[in-house]
Amino acid sequence: MPSAPPARPHSTSPHVSLSLNPSLFPRPSTPSGSRSSSDLSKSFLRGESVSSLRRREAEWDDAWDSSSDKEDEDEDDEHGGGNGEGEDSLTPGRSPSPSASAGSPVHAGRDGHGVAKSFSQAVSSAIPIRGAGSVDPNRPVHPHERDKERERERGISSSWASSFQHVSLNSSPSRPALPSSKTYTEGAPPPPRGTSLATSTNGSPATATRGGGGAGGGASKLPPGGAWEIVESRDCELGEEVVLPPKVGPEAVRSDVDEILRDPLQLLSSLSLSTPSTPVPSTPNPASSFPFLPASSGPPTPSSTAAIDSEGVRSQRKDLGRQRSVRTERRREKFAKVLRGRVEDGGGVEVAELRRLAWSGIPDEVRPIAWQLLLNYLPLPTQPRLTTLSRKRKEYAQLVDQHFSRGLGALDQQIWHQIEIDVPRTRPGIPLWSCITAQRALERILYVWAIRHPASGYVQGINDLVTPFFQVFLSAYIDTDPEMFDVGHLPAPVLSAIEADSFWCLSKLLDGIQDNYISQQPGIQRLVKRMGELVKRIDAPLAAHFDEQGVEYLQFAFRWMNCLLMREMSLRCTIRMWDTYLAEGTDAFSQFHLYVCSALLVKYSERLREMDFQEIIIFLQRLPTHAWTDHDVELLLSEAYVLKTVWQGAENHFANMPNGQSGGFGMLGR
Amino acid sequence: MSRTTSFKLVLLGESAVGKSSLVLRFVRNEFSDFRINHRVSIGFAGAAFLTQTVNLDDNTAVKFEIWDTAGQERYKSLAPIYFRNSNAAVIVYDITQPPETSFEKAKTWVRELQRQADPGIVIMLVGNKLDLSASRKTSTELGKQFADEEGLLFAEASAKSGEGVEGLFMEIARKLPANPPPTRTPASRQGVRVEGQAEETPSACNC
Repeated sequence: MPSAPPARPHSTSPHVSLSLNPSLFPRPSTPSGSRSSSDLSKSFLRGESVSSLRRREAEWDDAWDSSSDKEDEDEDDEHGGGNGEGEDSLTPGRSPSPSASAGSPVHAGRDGHGVAKSFSQAVSSAIPIRGAGSVDPNRPVHPHERDKERERERGISSSWASSFQHVSLNSSPSRPALPSSKTYTEGAPPPPRGTSLATSTNGSPATATRGGGGAGGGASKLPPGGAWEIVESRDCELGEEVVLPPKVGPEAVRSDVDEILRDPLQLLSSLSLSTPSTPVPSTPNPASSFPFLPASSGPPTPSSTAAIDSEGVRSQRKDLGRQRSVRTERRREKFAKVLRGRVEDGGGVEVAELRRLAWSGIPDEVRPIAWQLLLNYLPLPTQPRLTTLSRKRKEYAQLVDQHFSRGLGALDQQIWHQIEIDVPRTRPGIPLWSCITAQRALERILYVWAIRHPASGYVQGINDLVTPFFQVFLSAYIDTDPEMFDVGHLPAPVLSAIEADSFWCLSKLLDGIQDNYISQQPGIQRLVKRMGELVKRIDAPLAAHFDEQGVEYLQFAFRWMNCLLMREMSLRCTIRMWDTYLAEGTDAFSQFHLYVCSALLVKYSERLREMDFQEIIIFLQRLPTHAWTDHDVELLLSEAYVLKTVWQGAENHFANMPNGQSGGFGMLGR
Repeated sequence: MSRTTSFKLVLLGESAVGKSSLVLRFVRNEFSDFRINHRVSIGFAGAAFLTQTVNLDDNTAVKFEIWDTAGQERYKSLAPIYFRNSNAAVIVYDITQPPETSFEKAKTWVRELQRQADPGIVIMLVGNKLDLSASRKTSTELGKQFADEEGLLFAEASAKSGEGVEGLFMEIARKLPANPPPTRTPASRQGVRVEGQAEETPSACNC
């Protein structure tokens, strides 16, 4: 038996396991503010209310099961299973990192800042990558970025990091040849046990690939010269204990980025080959392709093989994984079918069908396309899609150029000042947002949006709203958890595309809620007021209690509206919520959101009614929602849906009545 | 047994002058980089609520109920709901910035309070980031002079080092009236209500 657990070259990253201690990424077991918030919840957790809460949840479970997506009969236990895990947690193509799958945000410890910084520096200075280091002359370069790039160049000579890339990312015709590899033989210690490590001493892509396709037990040995060599095996089982270090460097970039860059629907072609429950074929297996794929999609590209591999590595909890993957697979199949449209008559996506599917959650792999379609950023018919996409990206690049080409001094200083303050404190502690390249991109997105929307300008909180788009769109191009990835490793055109897509989608989102951010923020004032009215009707005792305690809805719900609950939920949950919001339509971020906020509040009604003013405010500003999973979010969404169904029309009716006089409809009274 | 009196306090000031850091130092004796602890320390969308109790002497304790508000101009319209019933206000500026920026903004907050807040409100003007006094751009005299003219308390402090933080809150506590302020509930009932709420009563009409 090999001394180190065998692994596949492209599923791990030697430079990470060697140069970066995985423990550098602190993953506290409890959400932030743990001390006080857990004390708090302890003191509020009374057996009685909890059990009745559970009962209520169970009832909602049933409602969810029967109301959602009737076709998915075989998905019943997915929602009703009660283990709190959404199907997505096992979908391939995502990080195996526990922090990501737990659905809780990575809250760094106190030293998190230093860590994140050293992480991005270590990575960027150690790894030379084409594209990241090469600068598109047309793209404005921030001074800091330039420094960063110099830093990167200095690190090139001593790097071994890209050696193993040959194994997985070799023969794609569109990919430029990588610089000649160097194995990390000199003085590098063997990897610690328990860490998956893989590389190849063989610089020849062809050989490496053949090795990758071969069967037989994995073996690692120390070859002459001291380099590590792993003969990889597809069939070997991974031990349950193995924790793969996350891929954070250039090895995480998919080899088919160029195709995806041109047409995001290319994501579907690799999707069709992701069949985690079937043994991975070493030769192209036509049967694993979906029938609706055009024949031209041909044999699997190296990238799809890579996808399958890493997928295989990740599905460690095999039995559970297999069951789920069948369901997940069916769901993905449905999405792929809808997104493909009718290929024969020029494509075109049936948006109603897409909305219907998306309401119950979009698989990670197709989310980038689905969101862009639902936001009406990507045109539905195939024909104008590619031209629109490239035109929009170009247009954004021109906007950036127009505003940034004369240097930072030429910017509107009031707007810029606030953006500069807020960008570094956007999703603090998350490696992605600690890296300077991502921060620069965020600054440009926010500034260009603000300058084009003078009525609102930049308002704190909008910075948060960019992050789901950016991370989702980034996920299309990489093979790892976006939050752990330094976008400095992306080829410049890819980064520009992600930035542009994020900008336009942010614009589409904000178009619907611009009232929230103009002077006096009337949109939010109105929503909070309506929330107060709604709660009064659906939960009169709670409303009375708030009144008695002097709690004003603005004191807590302002933030819920202003930041779309992003401060309350993990990003993962936010993304899941947005699937449904986008399926609901563009006004969901104000209208449907109102019902979500109300449902969220009354969820804690029993506990809140036993608290005084101070306890209420403290509880509401630190809701116990940070460990929520997709399942919890879906429950909330279904509750909100019921509220909306009952009250939406009624609200409009009330609005037309003089003096806001209205009768209550006690249908949902509790 | 000591007697505890509760007072409401509001923090005001421009973005990034260190309002949240000051209050975190006071409440938890922590200096928390925003990059780490944003949920608590960055209440910048809306406001964050915290409490802290200090002992004035063996018999008297003062409990502060603190609203830490958002600094951006856009949120200005929200501030009145926080300072309306406040007994004290801490207005913060950054001594490392030139006086025409955050100090100027602090002055406008003073005017705002004088116009809109309870006339008996205790106002403390605080120059923060004293640990960076090497790069000071707003002089102590300037702050002191303005505070004297307007009858405000004045202090310079560093949330990072902790210097002067507890002292300034103690000074406020001593300045507050010994008698308890009106309790919250009646006070807040006079506050702004969501329009139309008062006339509505839950109806039993079932459609």
